[in-house]
Amino acid sequence: MIEVKDLTKRYAGRTAVDAISFEVEKGEVVGFLGPNGAGKSTTIRMLTCFLSASEGTAKVGGYDIYDDSIKVRQHIGYMPENVPLYPDMRVSEYLNFRAKIKGLRYREAKRAVSEAMDICSLAEVERKMVATLSKGYKQRVGLADALVNKPDLLILDEPTNGLDPNQIRQARELIKRLGDRHTILISTHILSEVEVTCGRVIIIDRGKIKASDSPQNLIRRLRKPGEILLEMSGDAESAEKELLKLDGVNDVRRLDDRAKWTSFSITTDPNVDVREDVAALIQGEKWKIRELASRAASLEDAFVDLVQEKRGDTAEGKGKGK
Amino acid sequence: MRTFFIIFLKELRAFFLSPLAWTVMALFTFLNGWLFASMINAMQMRVSSRSLIYNFFDSGWFWMGFFILFPLITMRLFAEEKKMGTIEGLLTAPVRTSEVLLGKYFAAVVVFLVIVTPMYLFFPLFQAVTGEQAAFQGGALWGAGLGIALVGIFNVAIGTLASALTSNQLIAAMLTFVFAMLHYFLGFLHNFGVVPGSVWTGGMTYFSTTEHMHALTGGLIDSGPIIYYASFSILLLAITYHVLESRKWRV
Repeated sequence: MIEVKDLTKRYAGRTAVDAISFEVEKGEVVGFLGPNGAGKSTTIRMLTCFLSASEGTAKVGGYDIYDDSIKVRQHIGYMPENVPLYPDMRVSEYLNFRAKIKGLRYREAKRAVSEAMDICSLAEVERKMVATLSKGYKQRVGLADALVNKPDLLILDEPTNGLDPNQIRQARELIKRLGDRHTILISTHILSEVEVTCGRVIIIDRGKIKASDSPQNLIRRLRKPGEILLEMSGDAESAEKELLKLDGVNDVRRLDDRAKWTSFSITTDPNVDVREDVAALIQGEKWKIRELASRAASLEDAFVDLVQEKRGDTAEGKGKGK
Repeated sequence: MRTFFIIFLKELRAFFLSPLAWTVMALFTFLNGWLFASMINAMQMRVSSRSLIYNFFDSGWFWMGFFILFPLITMRLFAEEKKMGTIEGLLTAPVRTSEVLLGKYFAAVVVFLVIVTPMYLFFPLFQAVTGEQAAFQGGALWGAGLGIALVGIFNVAIGTLASALTSNQLIAAMLTFVFAMLHYFLGFLHNFGVVPGSVWTGGMTYFSTTEHMHALTGGLIDSGPIIYYASFSILLLAITYHVLESRKWRV
C-alpha cells in the first residue's frame, strides 16, 4: 500500500527526514512512533502530497506521489495533526462538503456522510456548529472526514492528541475496529497507543528509522534484565538470602513491609523466568505467597533504549567533528 | 470543474452567512449614498459641463471608500485557511490547486459585485424620483458598471495574491490596500511634468484608472482597459498559483 524509498526532506540546512525507506502492506495497522520533531508529520505530509520531497520517491497504492498526485490523494483518508476544521459550518455540512470535494456525487455523498457519522457516532451533533464541539467530537468529525470517501489507506497524525483518557480509549477502540477494513498509518509519540492498536511499529528519531517490527518482537529484542514482583509472608530476612541463591537471580530488593506481608523486587538475567523456582522455594519453606508476577518489559523500554542509544551516537559524532 | 463549483459555492456561503459581507455592503452603500447626495447638491450650486455619473466616479471620495472594499473581501481567502490549518485538509483532498484558487477568486469577485450593485441603483432611482432625464445617458451607467467591474477583478486578484502570501489576515489586508493604492496613484503620474502627447504620457495613461473611468463614464467602451485589467488579473492569479504551490518546496 505504501512504498517509501530514500525519502528525504531538507529545510534550510536541516534534514528533517533523512533518506527513510519503509513499506506498509495492505491491511496492516502501522504505528509511526517517534519523539516530537522526529520527522513524522513531515513524512506524512510528503505522502499526502502536501509537501514535496527533496529526494527519494514514494508510492501509495501503486501511484507515485509526484506523477499521480491526484490519484494518490483519492486513495488516502488523512486526518492532519490537531484536526483543523472550518468552525463556521455544521457537522453534516462540513462532512458533505468534504465528501463532495473528494469527488462523491450528490447522492453518494449523502449516503457516505451518514455512514461515516454512524461509524464515528456523530448523530447527536449532526446539526451543531463545528466551533461549539468538544475536542473529542472534533476529533471524531476529523476521523469521519478521513473515512468519508472510503479510502484504502487512513493516515492519522496524532489522532488522540489532547483527548481525555476516556475519549482516548474510545478513539483507540474505533481505530482498532477500522483496522479490519482499512490499512492504517498512525503517527504518535504515545507508546501505549501503538502497543494497543498497531500490528507493527516504525520507530523514527531525528529523521531516521531506528526500528521497524511488531511491538512484541521489539520488546523481545530488548536485552533488558527481567523483573519479578513477589509478595509473601514469612521470614523476610532468610527469604531475601534464599532468593539471591537461586539461579539467574541478580538482585533482590525489599520494597515494602505491610503487617506480616513483605514485597520484593527480584532482578534476573535477561529472558530468564525464575517464577517457578521462587514458588518452589516458598512452598518448601511453608511460607505464604500472595503475589508473584513478572513485570513485562514494555514498548516504552524499547523506545527509550533505541532513542537513548541514538543520542549517545550523536554526542560522539559531534566530539569527533571538533 | 466540479471542484471549482464546490469551492465557489462554499466560499460564497461563507461570505454571506457571516456578518462581514452585509456590514461592508451596508456601510459602503451608506457612504456612497451620502457622496451621491453631496454631489447633487454641488451640481445644483454650480453648473457642471460633466454628467452626474462622470462627476461621481471622478471624485476622490468615491475611490477612497472603494479601495477599502478589497482588503475586507479578500484578506481571509487563503490567510484564514493557513492560520487555522484547514489548508492542509483542503489541498490533500484530490483537488487541483488551480480549481481551489479560481473557486475562491470568483467567489470574491461575485461578492464584490454584489456589494457595489446597490450603488448603481442610485442613478435610476434619482431619475425616477426627480424625472431629470438629462442627468446622464444610459450608456454611461453601463460604461461605469463595466469600469468598476474591471477595476474590481483586478484588485480582487491583488487581494487574492496578498492573502496567499501570509497567514496573517491583517498583513494580507495591508498589502492589498497598499498595492491597490499604488496602482491607483501610478495613473496620476502622467499629470506631472510630462509633455502632453509624448510616448511617456501615452504609456502612463495606460495605467490610469481615472482615465479609464473617464472614457467609460462618457459612455465610450474601449477594449484597451478591458484587455489591460483582464490580462493583469490573469498574471496575478498565475503568480498566486505559484505562491500556493511553493509551500511544497519552501525551506
